[in-house]
Amino acid sequence: MLPPPCGLAATSRKSALVNSAPLQRTLLLQLVVNMLVLASIYALIACGYVLIYRVSRVMNLAQGELMMLGAYLLLTTASVFHKNAELAIGAAVVLSTCCGILVYIFLMRKMTGESVLAAVLATIALGILLRGLMILIWSAQQQYPGQSLGLTSTAIALPGGARVSTFAAALIVINALTYASLFVFLRFGRWGLRMRAAGQNPLLAAQRGIKLHAIYALAWALSTMTGSLAGMLIALDSGLTANMAVLGLKAFPAALVGGLDSLLGTLIGAAIVAAAEILSIQYVDPLLSDVMPFLVLLAMLIVRPWGLFGTREDLDRV
Amino acid sequence: MLRLLLGVVIAAAFVNAAAAEDAYVVGMTAGLTGPTASTFAPVAEAMRIYFDRVNAAGGINGRPVKLVILDDQGEPQKAGANVKQLLTWNNAILLIDSSLSSTFAPAIGEAKRANVPLLFIGSVCPKEVYPPAEAGQYCTTAFASNFDSRASLTFVKGTSSEPARIGFAAATIPVSRAEIDFAEKYATDLGMAAVDKELIPPTTADFTPFATKLVAAKPSWVYSWAAWVIQVQLFEAMRRLGWEGNFIGWAHQEAEDELKRLKDPHLYVIGANALFQEQLPVQKEIEGAAAKAASRYPANQMSEGWIGGLMIEAALEHASWPVTAAKVQDALQNLQVDMKGIRAAPMEWTQTNHFRTLQSYRIYNWDAAKGQIATTKKGLDYEIK
Repeated sequence: MLPPPCGLAATSRKSALVNSAPLQRTLLLQLVVNMLVLASIYALIACGYVLIYRVSRVMNLAQGELMMLGAYLLLTTASVFHKNAELAIGAAVVLSTCCGILVYIFLMRKMTGESVLAAVLATIALGILLRGLMILIWSAQQQYPGQSLGLTSTAIALPGGARVSTFAAALIVINALTYASLFVFLRFGRWGLRMRAAGQNPLLAAQRGIKLHAIYALAWALSTMTGSLAGMLIALDSGLTANMAVLGLKAFPAALVGGLDSLLGTLIGAAIVAAAEILSIQYVDPLLSDVMPFLVLLAMLIVRPWGLFGTREDLDRV
Repeated sequence: MLRLLLGVVIAAAFVNAAAAEDAYVVGMTAGLTGPTASTFAPVAEAMRIYFDRVNAAGGINGRPVKLVILDDQGEPQKAGANVKQLLTWNNAILLIDSSLSSTFAPAIGEAKRANVPLLFIGSVCPKEVYPPAEAGQYCTTAFASNFDSRASLTFVKGTSSEPARIGFAAATIPVSRAEIDFAEKYATDLGMAAVDKELIPPTTADFTPFATKLVAAKPSWVYSWAAWVIQVQLFEAMRRLGWEGNFIGWAHQEAEDELKRLKDPHLYVIGANALFQEQLPVQKEIEGAAAKAASRYPANQMSEGWIGGLMIEAALEHASWPVTAAKVQDALQNLQVDMKGIRAAPMEWTQTNHFRTLQSYRIYNWDAAKGQIATTKKGLDYEIK
């Protein structure tokens, strides 16, 4: 038994993107919304790369896995705090922040005094370990934490006929709030000031009484938390898959394009990478979308290897 | 110390060989982890549960089946190394590849060199298994290149009196792209208007950009033949953009739970395996076995692995004991096994056909009135010659 006919008639029904406004204007608006969403995803993930790099000069190549861990932690808290979304998300955020601290204490702290390359390799190993553990614990199935919480990703109609899902809109808002909070924290907060000092000159900072290990642990905690937020929102929006960690790699060019030691640069880098990706899907060839972040990165490395807002000396040191 | 180590290795080799002599050793390389684990891990789990049951019931011809499963993470080098290990270390008389198509070449190469038959279970069937089939390779997987698209598009054509405007979506992997290219051409042959084709990378963070492009092309139908994640995320993104057309995709093992989750009557899935809502006795048997084994995967994702188990059990039974790879090979190319309703027709392998002689499709969607999955169409049959 077929449901009511939904053949050509379907297109004559009210379809926001197609019929509600002049097609071209709606399409352009939709593209802008799509860019904002994708840029927010990349920025929220890439923020973690920058936080750790600024403080310790280590590139955390397990950021994608830590992001995925946040999403899986939400899956667990969602099953514990059934239908209580605030509590489940709050608990998952706290747990993932703790995971960041634990990663520092049990792994990265041991790398103190070792070369930066050794620390980077340790993060690669951490990523592989986390990926395997997550499949062992939560299985490889596609899962939906939103289902246990009674949350569904519905569409919000925007002026001009464009649409955005509720969780994609939340991603944009949370990304903006995260960056604003980090800006205030790093510029005006006591611990933020200490983080900046430790990043600029760890020896001098230590001599001035700043506890470097506490600062590094804080950087790992914040980095894991922001990545996890991205993972949770993506999982709530479109489900949680075992290969979600790959997004960490796709967000990496955003951090490099912006400059690895600049949060503002990361925001702009994410916007550039997202715009290039979406425009290539729409106007060039969807096949290009997968490589577009890396093409942008290559172009940047040729023209300005330290990124748009990065510090030249820092790159030389790396 | 060196002597001691050598002694341990030699002793282990003897123990291994002795164990192999007492059992039918079946070796499996599978993508248990890695990007496509959600597709292949349930297949391996189902096979493990199946042969645990067979062994508990006394084995085959009085001998147990030793199923050795190695993870290749969907990587060709690892698959090649796994197959080598299964042949030389475990003395496997039958091999299984349940992984990405990129793992096929090394697995086939090793299997051919050792003259050991290779089965593809849950993974794409390579062209060598279709008539005229190449010796040594067999496939049980439900989906079938070209036939799937033919059946899907024939169904689409039959649902509307006017020619459909159809959009296509594939993953950026060769097998999916080739199928959608075929579908695009076939749809045109059937008189449909092919309005857009999107190739979507498996690493996509947000499907809305692809959905935007497809929706702008105003399709009345969208057909996708890709991994379930891509199909369903694209569909959901299109719905969020206000598109109200019909979508048909391949009924991967996740499909049943997803139809229940989405409850959208215009999302159709086409497949060769019966969904568990049909409550066949064999499906109840699978549910019982999965529950008893405390499986990490739902029973309704185990049809592919179970079918593989049925075929292997029948082949080993015919190969009798003592067994050799050559005897298994002979048994495989003269095999007919009742699928107990999981598939509409028995699985039959002949000397020239290592796929099946009849491919029969069923189409499901959500029946909003009844609040359950409905069988929209059965008996879309294709003879494989």
